[in-house]
Amino acid sequence: MIKNKKVAKAFLILALAFTMLITACGNGGKNSTNSGKAGAAADGGSGNGSAALKPVELVMVFPVGGEPKDMKLVSDEINKLTKEKINATVKLVPIGFGAWSQQKTLMMSGNEQIDLIVSGLGTYSQDVAKGQLLELDNYLAEQGQGITEALDSLDPAFLNATRINSKIYGVPSIRDLAADYGITMRKDLVDKYNIDTTAIKSLDDLDAVFKIIKDNEPGIIPTVKYLTSIIDIYVNSFFDNLGEGLGVLPGYDNNLQVVNMYETPEYAEMLNTVRRWNLAGYIAKDAATSTETQYNLVKSGKAFSFISHMKPGIESQESRSTSKEMVSIHFRPAATATYNITSIMWSIARNSKDPERAMMLLNLMYTDKQFINLLDYGIEDTHYVKVSDNVIDYPKGVDATNSGYNLQMGWMFGNQFLSHIWNGDDTELWNQLAEFNRNAIKSKALGFTFNADAVKTEIAAVTNVQNQYKVALETGTVDPVSKLPEFNKQLKAAGIDKIIAEKQKQLDAWAAASKK
Amino acid sequence: MQSTGKLYQWIINIIMLVFTFFCVMPFWLLFSSSLTEDMELVRSGYAFFPNKISFSAYSYLWNSSSEIFRAYSITVISTVLGTALGLTLTAMVAYPLSRLEMPFRNSLAFYVFFTMLFNGGLVPTYLLYTNYFDLKNTILALIIPGLLMNGFYIILMRTFFASSIPPAIIESAYIDGAKEWKIFYRIILPLSTPVLATVGLFYTIMYWNDWFNGLIYLTDSHYYSLQNLLNRILLDVQFLQNSTQSGGRGAEIAAKIPLASMRMAMAAIGVIPLLIAYPFFQKYFVKGLTIGAVKG
Amino acid sequence: MQANSETSTLNSKQVSLKMKKKAAFALEMRKVKKYRALVLMALPGLLYLLINNYLPMLGIVIAFKDINFAKGIMGSDWIGFKNFEYLFKTTDAYIITRNTLLYNVTFIVLNTVIAIALAIMLNEIRKRYLSRIYQTLILLPFLISMVIVGYLVLGFLDVENGFMNKTLLPLMGLDSISWYSETKYWPWILTLVSVWKGVGNLCIIYLASIIGIDNEYYEAATIDGANRWQQIIKITLPLVSPVITIMTLLAIGRIFYSDFGLFFQVPLNTGALMPVTNTIDTYVYRALINLGDIGMSSAAGLYQALVGFVLVILSNAVVRKYNKDNALF
Repeated sequence: MIKNKKVAKAFLILALAFTMLITACGNGGKNSTNSGKAGAAADGGSGNGSAALKPVELVMVFPVGGEPKDMKLVSDEINKLTKEKINATVKLVPIGFGAWSQQKTLMMSGNEQIDLIVSGLGTYSQDVAKGQLLELDNYLAEQGQGITEALDSLDPAFLNATRINSKIYGVPSIRDLAADYGITMRKDLVDKYNIDTTAIKSLDDLDAVFKIIKDNEPGIIPTVKYLTSIIDIYVNSFFDNLGEGLGVLPGYDNNLQVVNMYETPEYAEMLNTVRRWNLAGYIAKDAATSTETQYNLVKSGKAFSFISHMKPGIESQESRSTSKEMVSIHFRPAATATYNITSIMWSIARNSKDPERAMMLLNLMYTDKQFINLLDYGIEDTHYVKVSDNVIDYPKGVDATNSGYNLQMGWMFGNQFLSHIWNGDDTELWNQLAEFNRNAIKSKALGFTFNADAVKTEIAAVTNVQNQYKVALETGTVDPVSKLPEFNKQLKAAGIDKIIAEKQKQLDAWAAASKK
Repeated sequence: MQSTGKLYQWIINIIMLVFTFFCVMPFWLLFSSSLTEDMELVRSGYAFFPNKISFSAYSYLWNSSSEIFRAYSITVISTVLGTALGLTLTAMVAYPLSRLEMPFRNSLAFYVFFTMLFNGGLVPTYLLYTNYFDLKNTILALIIPGLLMNGFYIILMRTFFASSIPPAIIESAYIDGAKEWKIFYRIILPLSTPVLATVGLFYTIMYWNDWFNGLIYLTDSHYYSLQNLLNRILLDVQFLQNSTQSGGRGAEIAAKIPLASMRMAMAAIGVIPLLIAYPFFQKYFVKGLTIGAVKG
Repeated sequence: MQANSETSTLNSKQVSLKMKKKAAFALEMRKVKKYRALVLMALPGLLYLLINNYLPMLGIVIAFKDINFAKGIMGSDWIGFKNFEYLFKTTDAYIITRNTLLYNVTFIVLNTVIAIALAIMLNEIRKRYLSRIYQTLILLPFLISMVIVGYLVLGFLDVENGFMNKTLLPLMGLDSISWYSETKYWPWILTLVSVWKGVGNLCIIYLASIIGIDNEYYEAATIDGANRWQQIIKITLPLVSPVITIMTLLAIGRIFYSDFGLFFQVPLNTGALMPVTNTIDTYVYRALINLGDIGMSSAAGLYQALVGFVLVILSNAVVRKYNKDNALF
């Protein structure tokens, strides 16, 4: 078999060649981080004032929902600013949300320069476990005091919530770091039928409201799903989902006893409600499969309401998104868990060429009004105009559809509380949000991040089972009386108990370490 | 061809008509829904004949035309270059493999075939092309990785060369003192128009529809092809269906997802140029086929 | 003694085999010199395959590692087959394997039979322009991506607004069907979509090789008094059979893969349909979407490729046994 031998030989040679390539690349990565660390130690306390700094280019990677036309203009403007402040230029690399996980994984696995990157988005603990993010504690102390100050002025618990094995790998943006829950409805219909919004205290109070809509407004669906299902997000008002929702803490406490959410009476109760709505025709028949967003459904006059998580200022935000005046009823209190904080953070990637300068740039994002507003709203008089000192609006002839820079992602770029207020929002919005964050119920497990490494196999299998049942149950498409037990049986077979046990073990260890 | 009965021809034509009808019908639905008023589609659904024709989706796209025209030109450039280069390379491998005299013929055939079964996976391929060939954010990234040659098309061509070109032709050319390159260029290629047209068309379709290379090798939307633009929206929709990932931030993204009719319109503008260009292509392609039949 | 002589003949056999191999190798090397033009011609393409396909293949080590980028790919810890576990340690393992295999076998058989039938019919049509129009139109579905197909299917099957429920079924006096929650329709729908989309492409390939058949064969057969049907059975099919064999073997090599668009986008990722739409690829996608583990995804790819590889080698051996010329290698 000459053929086989040849093939084998060729393989050997290839294997050697590739090993060399890969090890070279691996080493390269290591060297750069090492030198980075060495540099940090050497630089120490120096490095203030841009004159002493050598020029660098920093790469900043973040997700967007569609790249704005004028990205280049804004980035030029940003560079003028950062050049002056920290003698650095910034390369902005926006990546579409849909492509985010794919591109992030690839970029981080190679040697591409990434200095600042948005972390979280459900993968924080994996990214840390895979060694993709740098520890930030030292950099925060040296170059990032502005960040620590800004976050600690809210509540030190927020920055501490990001710690994994007592180290910080990402800093949360300053935004709504908690969530309350309720329903958002069309104001015109609420007014038309004199719906008493103060009477709404729970899901079960909504039947009466939906009935009015159903009876009087044929062609309008009383309620539509928000993200994947009717109660997808709403369940979080009852449970700290401890990361991904496989094993939760009821009431954000439960004495740190992890339970299976799908077996709790609260969950079963919610499913019964949703099922009742579905049978009464309050939910669209195609709710389980529809890919039309709640905003488009309301905008097109096909839907009346949706149940979601909320924050101060939600009403005007949802009104803008649906192009209809909306009214939001908050009926579940604000709560916060690790997940609320670590879902959007900024981290310095392992591939950073200059972590100190990256931290300086990040510091600007939490302290420099000009920088933040550029990122949030673009260039004054081009993308927005000042209506009053701190309130802004679109310039004449510009609106959401034709604006050259309309990211609407102030919640992502550092300290949102330093940004302008959009016309229509309460001028006190940022103070309200700060209060909202401070006063939110803090989960007993706040600061615990689950490391899924030991149970990856089970998570893979359980995720598939969830996919099969969850949406159908949570849109009331199937009968929970028979399907919920079946769902739980399948979850057990797929190993959910093992995940919960592992989570409990880690949570206990965490509690012991942090003396809870 | 031998003349055959009229009835026989009728039956065949009817079968083909029915089949082609089913092939075409869904396209009609695609265009009619892209011409349906935005809100009308959400309200009254899909119909072959919309109540009210509206070009609103198209006019919206026209407004962002600079982006779309650039994407069009990227698609055309990568398709033309990729097809030309790919077809050339493929023929240059397939022809020697079809010759019995080719050294290590069987081993090489296996070498080609093996690439169709195994692949190294995304990450190593990505590392190779970005770290060692610097393809990231260049137009070459849309042309070279993965698509340029396909083991399947090599085998397809090799089979054609081996079965449809009489070895006697090559032998006589040899005797006349022709060089291998000249034989390939002057004799083999002109005789092989059917397979060249077929494979060329396949490459064209493949390049035209590819979004994957753009997804992984481009972060700079400057080089986005049309399919990348279309795909971005679909990926965002998919992303919204995963609440763990979106971290409850779905709302802000959801606000930017276009309506179904818009998605249909975008799909339509992705297909229309290919549909327009394709019959021309097809003309040569069929000519190629008939020439092959006459000379075969 | 006897045993000894046996081993010795065996040895000598081995030796002679080795020598033969050596001689064959030397012969091939001589050919390289003589036919260097051919070798040179193939070189650029072969080099591309080396870079594009073979070099990254060594990345399969990832499937056996617990990747930690701080340590680099090579420096990461070996974890044996742990990355493969999730493919088998699930109650769905049987379902996804069964779905993948059954659908693929059905697709292979149906697509092949229909494509050949269409190709033969196209070749029989006397009016060239008609044949040309048909060819153009049946290839149309092949032009569009599966994602768009997903939208088209939704246009037909949408529960409230789809063409079927809104127009066709009422016309026939039937009740609406909630297509996206009834598993029983989907094996048919998916097969239909697969045929609709794939058959044109395959048909053109077969047509190209049918047209390539020398007319003399048919002329001779006509003189012998064979009718159309006999000519198709006795001439067309046998002469196209190498192409059919190759196409089928290639399809077998991909039997553990499934078209992600077909099984994920077309059923709109609907949970209720998963018993009949979940395949290995969709399972892997759903399993890893939140984990994003490259080790586990590499493991799945390797598993699919290995099974396909083994099956192709086996079926190629079977083909070889009956007809050496038709075998792939």
